[in-house]
Amino acid sequence: MAKKVLVVDDDENTVKFLTAALEENGYEVVPAYNGKDGLEKIQNERPDLVLLDVMMPKKTGFVLFKQLRRDEQYKDLPVIMLTGVAEVLEDLDAQSGDTAESPYDSLREAMRKSIREMREEGLVKPDMFIDKPIDPELVVAKVKELIGV
Amino acid sequence: MLKRIPIFWKLSSAFVIILLLLFVTLRGLVATPGLPLIIVFAIALLLGVGVTWLLVDRCINRSIKRVADGMNELAEKNFDFRLAEDEISEFGPLASSFNDMADMLSSSLIELKKNRDYLEGILESSADIIITVNASGKIQTINSGAEHALGYHRLEVIGKSVEVLFTDPQERKVMAQKLQYAESVVNYETQLLAKNGAVRDVLLTLSRLRNPTGAIIGTIGIGKDITEEKQLQAQLIQSQRFAAIGQVFTGIQHSMKNMLNACKGGAYMVKTGLAKDDRKMLTEGWDIVQVGITGLTKMSLDMLKYVKDFKPTVNRVDLSETLTEIYQVIRQTAQDKGVDVQLQLPSSLPAVVCDARMVHSAAMDIVSNAVDACLWKEYHTDEKPRVTLRAYPSPEAAELVIEVRDNGCGMTDEVKSHIFTPFFSTKSKAGTGLGLSIASRMINVHGGRIEVESEPDSGAMFRIMLPVDGKNKEGIHGKKSAGG
Repeated sequence: MAKKVLVVDDDENTVKFLTAALEENGYEVVPAYNGKDGLEKIQNERPDLVLLDVMMPKKTGFVLFKQLRRDEQYKDLPVIMLTGVAEVLEDLDAQSGDTAESPYDSLREAMRKSIREMREEGLVKPDMFIDKPIDPELVVAKVKELIGV
Repeated sequence: MLKRIPIFWKLSSAFVIILLLLFVTLRGLVATPGLPLIIVFAIALLLGVGVTWLLVDRCINRSIKRVADGMNELAEKNFDFRLAEDEISEFGPLASSFNDMADMLSSSLIELKKNRDYLEGILESSADIIITVNASGKIQTINSGAEHALGYHRLEVIGKSVEVLFTDPQERKVMAQKLQYAESVVNYETQLLAKNGAVRDVLLTLSRLRNPTGAIIGTIGIGKDITEEKQLQAQLIQSQRFAAIGQVFTGIQHSMKNMLNACKGGAYMVKTGLAKDDRKMLTEGWDIVQVGITGLTKMSLDMLKYVKDFKPTVNRVDLSETLTEIYQVIRQTAQDKGVDVQLQLPSSLPAVVCDARMVHSAAMDIVSNAVDACLWKEYHTDEKPRVTLRAYPSPEAAELVIEVRDNGCGMTDEVKSHIFTPFFSTKSKAGTGLGLSIASRMINVHGGRIEVESEPDSGAMFRIMLPVDGKNKEGIHGKKSAGG
């Protein structure tokens, strides 16, 4: 039976081409267009892996991710974050607040807080970050790495 | 006791006594019978005068000489010199007075020296550059602050023309000229030349130096070395510039990558569709690439629009038509996303002097944002996502208010403070982050402004305030207007 991948992104086009790429490689794809929708699909469809966008209406990717990690049932579910700010997340530890003030500070601060909370609770980081613009072939390769074909 | 007898009586008595003694003595010694008494007396008189003269010389002249010597000692700055006062002579009180005078002089000088040392201490310990110059422009004094800043030893410059300290000697002349018309020249920014050729930026204050009678005897210059401050300031400006550029680049990159994302993903589908001869995939992929290209094109146009000057072509127009147009365009797309858009217009609106196309563009942007804000909110109760577009004259009727109210996700104060900043966007997909900053500028060129009220989770209200009679010369002051 084909492995099931849930793609959660509010951008229809992203969902569309990721679906094409994954299906091309033998995966079954379930689409969701916001965080709330994503959670429902996780509960109903039992995917093997979740591709999760961060900036989404109705429950951001981070909120959904935290919820999954806190849930005994889903805490080991592989998640790939489709975030345009992956580098910020990866560099969180290295950063010491020396960046010039920018309008994105509040966003960064919110993410720092999320990550801090997750660490304090002993929750792991997402399995992977893939920055936008997304290379569909890279996504497929990472999915294979995490759950096989 | 003896001291109290006046000198005249002392000397007279001495003279008479000496005369008698000599007379008696001579009478006894020269017992020559033929020598008349008168000659003996004359000889005694002569000897008496001589002896008295010697006495007078000893008593008076020597004392006067001592006082004169004392004066000389004082003149030679030996202020510790004192006359012996215990002499039994008429000059004892004189010596005492002399000594009192020397005491007073000495203590006055000590006091003066103390004051001078204090003032010199202030000048010396000041980190500022303090230089005094005489009336002909020659350096008279220079403090250690100046030595330190300019690298000279005072002996190297005292007596030289002060112009040697200026990078541009002309500047000293300019300042001197200014000083002819004023008592002082305050905080003149200039450059002084250090001994090693280094240029020091200095904030110089020149004041005229006068003697106690008020005559000008030179100039005092007090300079603050601001070289380091200026360097830091330049560094700060540089780093601020880099930060600003960095911010712009981050913003552009942030906006661009969503569009590139579409191009990249669409291209993958096109490639796969071609390889598999799958026309459906090819077409879908191509459409996605188009979305990316359209986005990039819009962004490039927006950027161009942002940097160019907005020159409105104004007419007196009824904006009801413009607002109806916006409503018609947006209603259907919003409906598809589950957002209800309503238009509320009074039966008639005051005609406004404006560029209707610009107002259309600004209002359109705000309405689309309002629709997007609804998509980001999770509605719990029976509340439905709703955007209301209204227009009405301000209470004084001087302005037309276009109000866009939504019950969407709202904004934090932080977000609110940045919404007019170029490239700031909270939207993940669409949006260049330039929309509201362009809208705000478009309204500003009309002399209008955009006001915002919002709380997280309780929606937002944007008000475009347009002066009815075009660009308002007095300017309108609102509570929370958008900067332009």
